[in-house]
Amino acid sequence: MKLARIAMLICCTAAARGQTEQDLADGKATFRSNCAFCHGLVGGGGRGPALNLGRFLHGSTDQDIQSVIQGGVPGTTMPSFEFEKEELANLVAYVRSLSGERSKVKARQLGGDPITGRKIYEQNGCSTCHRIGSEGSVFGPDLTRIGAGRSTEYIRESVVNPSSDIPEDYAGVTVITEDGKHVTGVRINEDTFSVQLRDSSQNFQMFQKDEVQQVIHETKSLMPAYNSLAPQELQDLLAYLDTLRGDLNAGAEVKKEKGIR
Amino acid sequence: MKRAAWSWLIFVFSLRGQNVTYDRLIHALSEQQNWLTYWGDYSAIRHRDLRQIDTSNVKDLRVDWIYQTGQAGSFETIPLVVDGVMYLTGPNGYAYALDARSGRQLWLYKHAFPPGRKADGVNRGFAILGDRLFMVTPDANVVALDARTGRLIWQTEMAPYNNGQYTATLAPIAIKDKVIVGISGAEFGIRGFIDAYDAATGTRDWRFWTVPSKDEPGGDTWLGDSWTRGGGSTWMTGTYDPQLNTLYWGVGNPGPDLYGDTRKGDNLYTCSLVAIDPDTGKLKWHFQFTPHDTHDWDAAETPMLLDLKWKGHDRKVVVQANRNAFFYVLDRETGEFLMGKPFARQNWATELDAKGRPILMNNQEPSPDGTRLCPGLAGATNWMAPSYDPDTKLFYFAVREQCDIYYTSPPVYIQGRPYWGSVSRGVTEEPEWGLLKALDPLTGETKWDFRYFHAPWAGTLSTAGGLIFAGDQDGYFMAFEAKTGKNLWRINTGNPVVNSPITYLVKGRQYVTMSSGSAVFTFALPESR
Repeated sequence: MKLARIAMLICCTAAARGQTEQDLADGKATFRSNCAFCHGLVGGGGRGPALNLGRFLHGSTDQDIQSVIQGGVPGTTMPSFEFEKEELANLVAYVRSLSGERSKVKARQLGGDPITGRKIYEQNGCSTCHRIGSEGSVFGPDLTRIGAGRSTEYIRESVVNPSSDIPEDYAGVTVITEDGKHVTGVRINEDTFSVQLRDSSQNFQMFQKDEVQQVIHETKSLMPAYNSLAPQELQDLLAYLDTLRGDLNAGAEVKKEKGIR
Repeated sequence: MKRAAWSWLIFVFSLRGQNVTYDRLIHALSEQQNWLTYWGDYSAIRHRDLRQIDTSNVKDLRVDWIYQTGQAGSFETIPLVVDGVMYLTGPNGYAYALDARSGRQLWLYKHAFPPGRKADGVNRGFAILGDRLFMVTPDANVVALDARTGRLIWQTEMAPYNNGQYTATLAPIAIKDKVIVGISGAEFGIRGFIDAYDAATGTRDWRFWTVPSKDEPGGDTWLGDSWTRGGGSTWMTGTYDPQLNTLYWGVGNPGPDLYGDTRKGDNLYTCSLVAIDPDTGKLKWHFQFTPHDTHDWDAAETPMLLDLKWKGHDRKVVVQANRNAFFYVLDRETGEFLMGKPFARQNWATELDAKGRPILMNNQEPSPDGTRLCPGLAGATNWMAPSYDPDTKLFYFAVREQCDIYYTSPPVYIQGRPYWGSVSRGVTEEPEWGLLKALDPLTGETKWDFRYFHAPWAGTLSTAGGLIFAGDQDGYFMAFEAKTGKNLWRINTGNPVVNSPITYLVKGRQYVTMSSGSAVFTFALPESR
């Protein structure tokens, strides 16, 4: 009896959404060509968070997921997408289908201690380049919500082998000035005639290309590889980074007009 | 006395300005002070025999005036200049007449969109004939305006609106008593055409379908009824040879763009150049660059008409740097293939055979999991206009070095909805770049190129001052030495440049105009006042 009711519920839910195998196939095609680059071919995550865990950072209803796709996530690398209504519905259906059995499994335990992880973060001087909340440097990527925005596997790879994937916003550039000085920084902007960097002292460095000897595009990440951490240290660090799910704009003070007094 | 004679001259001049006869259009290059057609003349050479601004003084070029349209959207127009008046279109159905010397507005036209229609979209410019201007609109109308006032004279719908399936973006071309236009919408499952309208009345004189029906010649190059939604947009202006009385038009891609299984065959006349009799709309010959295209490599790029010394003999040719990364030379009397050479990175064709048909490499079809291919969807070049300098005998054009991953999946046709057959995505880990390239059209070899940081969407202009003017995607408007490619001058306009420059004279002073953002920038040398 109960089983029958569940079966009916599933049947009706499916009917309400009107999903067919073809819809899911269409959703998959849209996912592969638009989403997979950041979220992985089957939603396992990468530059973007995993989408196969059955939990979503910005709400788990179809409407929530649609809103994120249509509006993007401000302050992150998740852009907004314009899809036709049906295309969007198929995409959401496919994204939900990625969770499958895993949605029932509790999120995987990382097996590390976040408190020890925080100490490792401090001992290794990570904050000389990275920022969490209002603490640290703006030279490297902001880690305030790294646990929400990136999969653990991606973060692990970024720690031990940062050059495996260098986000475009953090490409390293070295400029050799006319007097032979080497200035290295993260590329903020570059065009045919000029390049703008942020150096490790958090200063802007701006050059006209015809006034320097050479502009070198670094093929390796400016971040050193932390591959000498002990396995447990790495697990602890990852456990700490996984807890970072803050709001990037939380530190900003916003004053509001209180009206006529 | 002297003053009176001068006034009379101005009067006569202004009368001429409102009467741009067909004869003036044929001889547009003898009016070096003006820019009378979208391409500057019928051949699209885009070279001017003006030398006030030259390699020695271009460093002093400065902004003379700016006109702000305030219109959002890509500003892709190329203005006309007729005896001191500049006529240009903007996005979203707007058009303007300006004093070409001061940038002050003379009139403004706003197309009236019926309720419920998409009222935004790009436009590339006007045609002029007599005292009338002709433009198309985002809802696929051809519009005739009074050049003196900007008032509407007639308006003709080219195709039913169909939820925005049909749209139009190009600058018309006026030939004899006709206004000839093309249509956009291959991404939405249309069947493309080229139309001729009577300039006086707006009545359609003829239509050439770019996708033949089943029983017409070429109809057997389409599987089943796929021809009915076969695409073949004609979204860029053609060129014209008055002596041969032949119109040359580049035809767009087949639809669905990235899914070819439902339209097996060569898919004529998509991705082809068609040579047409402008009096009747009858096809004289065709040449297909990319048979059965599945990468959106249409042939809308400029079909430039040149008279070259080809292997020792004078030959009338048409040249095109095609989106598929090959530079083509065809005999424009017969359509005979003379040469085709790659000008950018490509990994889809091993070579062209003796008749110009590409011999395909393996694994170049879009796939469900994605196929990396060069050039990318936007092509190795695109609609931005090239130029040819008769002094250097070089062809100057913008090259896009960018590859894409092409996905495919069977599409469902719904009127007014994209009918692409999936999408493409940039190969993010491979940086894109661009080139301004000077190419010898006799050999296809590169004489020089200048590297841009990003792939451009702006065309070129050459002048007898030994200069090439060009724009880039980072907002620079630039001048180069035509012989060497040395950058001699630049200004950052603050927005990507997505059109092609022109030059003209007013009261003996040379101006250069190019648009960026929602502004028309006009440059000149400092004037001693």
